[in-house]
Amino acid sequence: MSPLLAAVVSVGILVGIYGVVAIALNFQYGEAGLINFGVVAYFAVGAYTFAILTAGPPSEASLDQYRWGFDLHPLLAALIAGLVGVIFAAISGWPALRLRGEYLALTTFAFAEVLQSLLVNVPAVTNGTSGFANITQPLRGEVGNYNLFLLIVSLALLAVTMLFFQRLVRSPYGRLLRAIKNDEVGVTATGQVPEKYRRQVFFISAFFIALAGVVYVIWLTLARPSSFGAELTFFVWIAMILGGEGNNWGVLAGVLGLTVLDELIGQLPVRSVRGVQMIDAAQVFLTGLLFVLVLRWRQPRPGAG
Amino acid sequence: MSEPILHLDHVSRYFGGLVAVDECSLSLAEGELVGLVGPNGAGKSTLFNLASGYLPPSEGSVTVLGHSTTGRHPAELAALGLSRTFQTPVAFKELTVIDNVLVAARVERPILAGLAGTWRSTEKLNRERAESLLERVGLGARAEDEAAELSGGELRMLEVARQLYTDPRLLLLDEPTAGVAPHLQSALADLIRSVHAEGVTVMVVEHNLGFLLDLVGRVVCMANGAIIADGTPQEIRTNPEVVAAYLGGDA
Repeated sequence: MSPLLAAVVSVGILVGIYGVVAIALNFQYGEAGLINFGVVAYFAVGAYTFAILTAGPPSEASLDQYRWGFDLHPLLAALIAGLVGVIFAAISGWPALRLRGEYLALTTFAFAEVLQSLLVNVPAVTNGTSGFANITQPLRGEVGNYNLFLLIVSLALLAVTMLFFQRLVRSPYGRLLRAIKNDEVGVTATGQVPEKYRRQVFFISAFFIALAGVVYVIWLTLARPSSFGAELTFFVWIAMILGGEGNNWGVLAGVLGLTVLDELIGQLPVRSVRGVQMIDAAQVFLTGLLFVLVLRWRQPRPGAG
Repeated sequence: MSEPILHLDHVSRYFGGLVAVDECSLSLAEGELVGLVGPNGAGKSTLFNLASGYLPPSEGSVTVLGHSTTGRHPAELAALGLSRTFQTPVAFKELTVIDNVLVAARVERPILAGLAGTWRSTEKLNRERAESLLERVGLGARAEDEAAELSGGELRMLEVARQLYTDPRLLLLDEPTAGVAPHLQSALADLIRSVHAEGVTVMVVEHNLGFLLDLVGRVVCMANGAIIADGTPQEIRTNPEVVAAYLGGDA
């Protein structure tokens, strides 16, 4: 495969992964008005659950600190990873969903920070700062070009996610969620309990975000605490705002644009460590700048904000 | 005599040291059309919130449609047939006018129905019902407009249409004439009369005494958190305590 094609394939894989996360986030924020600044936590829970469930027994030689590897079938592990994402949503949502607006944002952000700290500090489960390497790549060796295979998997997951949420959003369920976003008390007055729907939205999104985390670690073959910082949360938030919250196709376009931009900057030729640092800084700077510009000039939607 | 549809038994509500509602007792029989009046700060809105389960009483008990409000989510009471509007009308501004009404439509297993598309079979009937309610409140021509485009008075009528969609047995209206143009107020009074004629028990909080005293058969007057009078409009008009409360005299 030519280097250009290889780059296109990796961008495609990432667009699939981030696209799933951004659409799930858009369901939370664009439809139901839940501000989740801890997106990365649900992603990390999926990633780590998959890593632990598919890992073999710890080996002395590689200085493994984890105690339990389950050697589970990858498909089963992926499904359980999604469900553990929902369980984590139930645990974090129990206190967080009592809050609204910026309070919810802060609480979800705090949960993500706590989780990252647990990933570092409970080595018996997570293997500490080194995390898991050589994560199982299902069907490796059985398919011709593995990255091409992963591209198909990633885009298939994106397609299913898109179909799932588009159908929900365009049904009376989506109408009810937008009503909850606009005025919870008004929905209560019609005899429906908004808190119940807020929880459902939180759980459903967490399932898809955790699955995206699974594809991410299969692609990366690594699960380390440092891969699951707040950068991912802000990346999908910016992509969603860029595309226009509440509009899944726009959000996808936002993800595509932002991923391509990130990759282009990452491809700039550098020869020194200093150069790599500057490129990292440039990625953060440009993404931030773009965010500010979009917030400044985007068309406000009726009733939003 | 049958059981009252709404019964407040020595109900008090405190906010810190403030006594907003002070040992109020009130019963509404099914089929009544009652007005609740009183000067600003008399405790009318607090009483409404207590009656509809949005606030728990500090003391006393509230029974609505045969159920105590204690420990019940207001949505549960709403599902039983207690419907209310708010002083600031509720509007779902990202939805169209007709979708605002359809929020009140119940769909069984909404997630599965949404994914499978089975909701479409009931949606048509629901829309027809919502359209007829919009006609009834005078918003028939605005059904497909964005709710954000409506005036304050129109939003109030929209809220009434939405609440009527829930098939209430008891309807509590919080200042329905506020923001409604004077020439539409007689239409509003006709609407309230026709809802009442269908057997719905109605209680109206209203500042506009001219509007209210012509509409209702019974008036309850509050001042300083207490019920100071309860009688026919004629009795209320001539009650010296009511007059004093409104004129700010030291009754």
